[in-house]
Amino acid sequence: MADTPWWASEDVWRKWAIWVTAIMAVVLIFLTFDSVATITAGSKRVPGYDVINKRIYYTYNAERNMQEPVIGGDAPLFGKALSPQEAEDLVTLGKLTVQAKNCMNCHTLLGNGAYYAPDLTKAWLDPAWGAESVREQLMVSFLMDPTANARTYGTGRRMPQLGITEDEARGVVAFLKWMSSIDTNGFPKGFTPIRQEDAS
Amino acid sequence: MIDPVATQHIMAAAIAGALIILFGAVYALLFALSRLQQRPGLMLWAYTAYAILIGAVWVLSTTLNLTGFWQVIAAVMVIGYFVAPRLIWHLCAGTHVSEAHTG
Amino acid sequence: MNVAAFNSANLNSGQKVAVKYFAVAMILFLAQCLFGLLAGLQFIMPDFLYNILDFNVNRMVHINAMVVWMLYGFIGSVYWLVEEESGTELVGAKLANLNFWILTIAVAIVVVVYLFVQTGPGTKETLWLINEGREYIEAPRWADIGIVVCVLIFFYNVAATFMKGKWSGISGVLVLDLVALAGLYLAGMFYTTNISVDQYWWWWVIHLWVEATWEVLVGCIMAWGLMKTLGARRKIVTTWLYIEVALMFGSGILGLGHHYFWIGTPEYWLSIGGFFSALEPIPLVAMVVHAVYDSGRHNFRNSNHPALAWLIAHAFGNFFGAGVWGFMHTLPQINLYTHGTQWSASHGHLAFFGAYATIIIAMIYIAVQKWRGDVWMSADLPDNGWKWKWSLGLLNLGVVGMTVALLISGYEQSFVERALGGSTWAAYFSAQATPWFMQGMHWRMLFGVMTMIGVVLLLWDLVTIGKGETRPAIDPTIAAATA
Repeated sequence: MADTPWWASEDVWRKWAIWVTAIMAVVLIFLTFDSVATITAGSKRVPGYDVINKRIYYTYNAERNMQEPVIGGDAPLFGKALSPQEAEDLVTLGKLTVQAKNCMNCHTLLGNGAYYAPDLTKAWLDPAWGAESVREQLMVSFLMDPTANARTYGTGRRMPQLGITEDEARGVVAFLKWMSSIDTNGFPKGFTPIRQEDAS
Repeated sequence: MIDPVATQHIMAAAIAGALIILFGAVYALLFALSRLQQRPGLMLWAYTAYAILIGAVWVLSTTLNLTGFWQVIAAVMVIGYFVAPRLIWHLCAGTHVSEAHTG
Repeated sequence: MNVAAFNSANLNSGQKVAVKYFAVAMILFLAQCLFGLLAGLQFIMPDFLYNILDFNVNRMVHINAMVVWMLYGFIGSVYWLVEEESGTELVGAKLANLNFWILTIAVAIVVVVYLFVQTGPGTKETLWLINEGREYIEAPRWADIGIVVCVLIFFYNVAATFMKGKWSGISGVLVLDLVALAGLYLAGMFYTTNISVDQYWWWWVIHLWVEATWEVLVGCIMAWGLMKTLGARRKIVTTWLYIEVALMFGSGILGLGHHYFWIGTPEYWLSIGGFFSALEPIPLVAMVVHAVYDSGRHNFRNSNHPALAWLIAHAFGNFFGAGVWGFMHTLPQINLYTHGTQWSASHGHLAFFGAYATIIIAMIYIAVQKWRGDVWMSADLPDNGWKWKWSLGLLNLGVVGMTVALLISGYEQSFVERALGGSTWAAYFSAQATPWFMQGMHWRMLFGVMTMIGVVLLLWDLVTIGKGETRPAIDPTIAAATA
């Protein structure tokens, strides 16, 4: 019987296991502090909730080789400029509704969720709403009665009736508008936004 | 900066990615079997598997337009997937030397 | 006394608790497949149960049943081995039983609420009482807290038993891993409006469970299982467990980066995620090579053929599902097209089944053998063991079939929706309506039914295998020593 070489011994690998795990965990924690600071609402990559008072559009950035969000001039949601607090309250109502109605088990948000219904990351900017001036109201009506307003594009898939109230629907629209302003490193690929009526 | 795969290359890139992992494992297995059963002939097949892996890495880095840092990842894969199976083999042999040699 | 009937006298007190967990795990596995079939059918027949049991409900039950049955399988496996591994009796057998019932009743209530209440108004109360609406961890907050309490009781029971008895390498890793597993769950237990921050922590739970702590947990179970079924040596098995921990956590913890490409997080995650994703398959390759090395060195006689077959299915399933199917679309240059499409569903089906379902099933076969009084489960079973062989075949073929079908649909989706269509809703729907996509959905359904038949056969086998068997089991430790 020969002796186990040191580099294959239980002892050495126990130490490796501990050290590797500890170092990786520390690196992750360090990166987490940095990342969370970078994605706090109000930062460059994740704008504050009052961005719903502004026009949101996308331009191509050649240096980054991707489309990136641009915050334009005033374009208050539902025609009313909100204070930062009011904006946050409205987006919060929307986010709570998105969770309470279990949207994520049909749709994806930022690409995560289920694949039965389209991604919502840039739903606010989707050309399906036709024109900028009418989309807010179209979205609210759709959310409140998805059966009657269903557009299935030949798939037959309709959103179910979720009992969304008008306030909740407005909240969801605010949440979607805010989410469309997040810099997602060009996801989803090659997104074509709604025609900008008076593009700046 | 990343330069996403061109439309016509999505399938090639995905297959190349799968082949890298698959042939990495095939190479590792054949390498270990060749040593274990003392069959040098198998080693030739092991290196054939590794050659396919290199080909797959080349396809992957071409189709995914890998440049700069991303080429380093490709290089790490080429070197790492060559070295790792040998290290794994040595670890297998090293951790088992205390066993009685019963063949 | 009935020969080779299920007899609890054959089990130690930890194992008596374990078989309860295993029983519920298998019932939930059946439920998972049932709701998967309903959800799959809705892709083909969108009006099926519309406004009654919608896709989002079926899909939620499908994935939650999976998470919970796997956790039950893990908890059961740990209770199964704790007394043998610690060399002493479980410190709180009554507590473990009480804990089981509380947890199971809580799970039942959550499912009933999912099915009959489904959704609520957009308030925090809904998140507390009905549904948290976050994929995989939808359980309402009250249940979250309950789960944490139950896991802490379980943790206390296991750690205290090892403390009273003896520690080993396996139990040391196991207990530390359980701390991490329970701790990570806390990262998913808060509300935030900021969807980027929400998903940042959500991935801590999902990724660091599935691609790190769960893998290490099954590593512990595998290590113990190899000693049990093959008589592998403790020292070697323990060393390899440490190797696996080093490789798995070394690549997997920062492998988290491949989920941070597109959620608003900084661009450096593209590089970190890409780099560590390229390393993540290495531990899986190492496991496969070591398994082959080990079996080449020994003329193993194994005491439990179905369990060993499922352990082999685990080694391959983990490698293909997590390794090959993961790396195929993980680099950001291609993930930009595939993230959030049926590619993820394809990868998810093979990886969860291959890495986790397989090994829990193996453990349950080990349990059933002992429960019947350590009966023979090697070759020459009555009826040629057709039930376990067919269920093994049908389940593996069924899941692989679904995986390939979903991959074809996923490829079609990323091509038509992302590459050609500009990722709009119209592009999404036009991809969903293509014949290639729909054929994938039909094939998935067919293989889903095959999987379901496999599950039913598996359950039938688990309650009948070894019944009336008179031959005693092979003792693998003796077999290994004399090989």
